[in-house]
Amino acid sequence: MTAARQSGLAQRRRYRWINIGVVIGSALVCTLLLPMRLPGMVLLGVGPSWLLMWLVVWSVQRSGVEGAIAGFILGLIHDGLTGYFPTHTIGLTLVGFLTARIQKQRFIQEDFVSVAIIVFGMTVIAQTTMALQISVHQLISNTSPYPGLPEIWLQHQRIALSSAILSSLWAPAIYYPLSRWWAHYEQVMTPPGG
Amino acid sequence: MFALRRWWNQYALKAGLVALMIVAALGMRENGGAVIYEMYRWITRPFHPGPAREAILQSSYAQELQQRLVELESQNRSLRQIVEGESQPLPGGTPAAVIGRSAGDWWQQIVISRGERDGITPDDVVTGPGGLIGRVVAVSPNSSRVLLVSDPTSRIGARVSRSRATGYIRGAMGQRVVMEFFDKIPDVKVGDVVVTSAYSKLFPQDIPIGRVVDLNLSKSPAPEVTVELTAPLSIVEWVEVVPFAPKAIDVPAAREPLQEAIPRNEEAAPEEGDRTP
Repeated sequence: MTAARQSGLAQRRRYRWINIGVVIGSALVCTLLLPMRLPGMVLLGVGPSWLLMWLVVWSVQRSGVEGAIAGFILGLIHDGLTGYFPTHTIGLTLVGFLTARIQKQRFIQEDFVSVAIIVFGMTVIAQTTMALQISVHQLISNTSPYPGLPEIWLQHQRIALSSAILSSLWAPAIYYPLSRWWAHYEQVMTPPGG
Repeated sequence: MFALRRWWNQYALKAGLVALMIVAALGMRENGGAVIYEMYRWITRPFHPGPAREAILQSSYAQELQQRLVELESQNRSLRQIVEGESQPLPGGTPAAVIGRSAGDWWQQIVISRGERDGITPDDVVTGPGGLIGRVVAVSPNSSRVLLVSDPTSRIGARVSRSRATGYIRGAMGQRVVMEFFDKIPDVKVGDVVVTSAYSKLFPQDIPIGRVVDLNLSKSPAPEVTVELTAPLSIVEWVEVVPFAPKAIDVPAAREPLQEAIPRNEEAAPEEGDRTP
């Protein structure tokens, strides 16, 4: 009896560490995909937002705070890869929080299609926060290097639409393995009979 | 107090992990994603471009040579008027393969396969088949990030090589860039070749940039033209990194007899460079 409980405990501890590895590893893979342009990953010169897809998959089953923290961390990493301004942290924190909230209200059932739809909407939101930052910078600063507002929002249209289409098409590729793993993980971690 | 302790007992591991992740992410942000780019370079190593697509880029190279020829002819004419020569040749560059594109949609950057260990430093100038590509903004030990000419924050002092009308070029997220003139009535025609200007602080002079394709001279406050870049930024696979240190700001001192024909008001040039910190 105690031996079985001991082995169960050891197994759960091992699974916890594997889970941490899976979470960090999958986020790392998404980060490494960002500078890559493989065939089928470019539309009008824009690639999919891999970190945003990962964030949506992470947030759908979690609380708003967890989603926002993950979004903030991913935003910092993404800023390191590109430049500090406009920052990704605002958009991704918002996306992490909102995705978790949507799920709470049970508007949308959780499956492939709905995750793709959420990713589509969230990409548009994230790109809009980027365009807003640039617009504010353009309006406030006299020496702003950015072009005028009409041009910024024309770019926003192009970037947001193509990025949203591509991201929602690629979202299942991240959603499927991760949600399968987390379902399995939950099953192992719930105490028997509890 | 009790509630706090209970919270700590319950969430100590999670809080620790979150703090660790935030610190790690901040560190990654500080060094410009060097860890990620090193890993990226290592993983994509088998896929780095070989000389296979060189044939496609040959035509761009021929165009670059043509532009250099036009430029040299114009220079030759001016040199004949004065006795002494002016420009010193560029030092030899380091060839590098393009291994990645910009990680964000609002930036125009490329990642190249040479870094600090190959002697590359920030502010080095990157050229390729067709002319100017951009300048290095961040380096990691084995890779570096290049801000392209087409990035909206990029500013390059440029001049029309036929008439020596000066202005600056700003990126517009594509193969076409915009050139604004300092002069109210610049001497420029469709088809003119545009090269980097001697007043540029961030780039050596006389590197071909592109060709004028569209005029909008009535534009206020400054006349502007559209320039098509000769370097094919979206398919370029090999580039050359030329060591370069930004010049000090001494525009009036650098004035030479050759540039006397240039209008006076170019000293009011807007800040050249980019906003990427």
